[in-house]
Amino acid sequence: MNRFTSGSALTLGVTRSVVSGTFLIATLVTSFSALGQLPVTILRPTGLMKVLPWNFYDRLLTPSGMFAFKSVLLLSLLLSTFGLLTSFSTKVSLLLVIFYEGLVRSFGHYNHDEMLAVYYLVVLAFVPCGDDFSLDHWLGRKRAGQSSFIYGYPVLLMQSLMAWVYFSSALVKMRVAGLKYLSADNLPVLAIFHSLDNLHDTGFRLAFWLPQVRVVLPFVVGVVLVWELFFPVAIVWRRARWWILGFGVLFHIATLFLMNIFFPYQLAMYLIFVDWDKVGEWINRRRT
Amino acid sequence: MKLQSERRWITQYTILTLVIFLPLLWSFRYVRNLYPFTVWNVMMAGGDLQTGRSYCVLRGETVAGETIDIRPIELTNALYGRNWTMVNATITNQSFKLPSVHPANVALLERVGGVENLKQGERIPDLLLTWGNLYNNHLPPTSSRRLRVIRLDMYQWSSGQYADYATFITSWRTQL
Repeated sequence: MNRFTSGSALTLGVTRSVVSGTFLIATLVTSFSALGQLPVTILRPTGLMKVLPWNFYDRLLTPSGMFAFKSVLLLSLLLSTFGLLTSFSTKVSLLLVIFYEGLVRSFGHYNHDEMLAVYYLVVLAFVPCGDDFSLDHWLGRKRAGQSSFIYGYPVLLMQSLMAWVYFSSALVKMRVAGLKYLSADNLPVLAIFHSLDNLHDTGFRLAFWLPQVRVVLPFVVGVVLVWELFFPVAIVWRRARWWILGFGVLFHIATLFLMNIFFPYQLAMYLIFVDWDKVGEWINRRRT
Repeated sequence: MKLQSERRWITQYTILTLVIFLPLLWSFRYVRNLYPFTVWNVMMAGGDLQTGRSYCVLRGETVAGETIDIRPIELTNALYGRNWTMVNATITNQSFKLPSVHPANVALLERVGGVENLKQGERIPDLLLTWGNLYNNHLPPTSSRRLRVIRLDMYQWSSGQYADYATFITSWRTQL
């Protein structure tokens, strides 16, 4: 158990920067004022978002309302990425990101890309992730402790969350679709459907080639299911980890070209499996 | 002292783990997304060739008289990966079927006499107007590439075969 829960303040600090930084970059390149021009009458508040009254959404969903929201979100993400007032800024970032992700899901559907990263923010908001690799540390406001459990367990928790994403996804497919999921038409039909309109973010047309190779597709889908089921192995078996993650990168790139569906946040979260202490040592060795 | 601090963290981490995983297990058990509680049910049902599917293409008619395809991601990039489902939900008037409906939608329902009397895609013209204005705002007022009309064309992929992907169904047009 100790082997899996050992970690350092540096690893946890870098993880905080990666997760908050991913949301920070995405927020920077997103037009919130365009979002604020969408008619509030097509909004369908989902889950927790239902507790907010309509007049709140009426006021927020304006170009100026969304600009103000973006400014506050950027400031909190900037602070948590660089680790200033970390225990406060990570909590504020968590609340604002949960609200924002709920808002965009209230327009569209419950898509899953950012959800793992949202759960990582939940973890980071309640752990000492500013003890190293942060302005708080460099300004002498926080000191890295010795306990490897305190810094290691949150990383194990985040790795377990990623394993849960893939493992539970395979189980749900088998529960809902059963063996039908391995039918030869499953993948081509889904892929072609997602390639017909121009409302998806990309317009790749590779899906139309899939019916020609439909005989082998049940095996391809089967391999993906097995990979999802075995994803938890990446936590316990370091040698297999890079093969499992490498397959994941190929899988997500394939869904982009075949289905016009991409999970960039999910891929960025793969960095949770990097041993940042070793990366730090490697950088120090090259310096000297 | 160190042991005491570590014990405090063990308690805190136990609570954190339970707070995260108990709702996830609930969502998984009932295959239900209740934001922010998530079940990873992406593509869980699989594709069926026998089921007909409809889809939409967003187009614009420019001042110069050209018809062009427009990708919504270039207009509302906050909805990356979600623009297509926003359109689908608006076509089926989902925002009128909520437990708590927006006051403007309540007023419209009272005017027409209920959800069943709504046209398909009652709010699509509002959405098209927003997209059309966002598109035109990127261009100078004198540009011949500005849109005078924006429209959403709906097609059907006839079921049963890998062909006949584009049977025209209907179109929504909004003058800008």
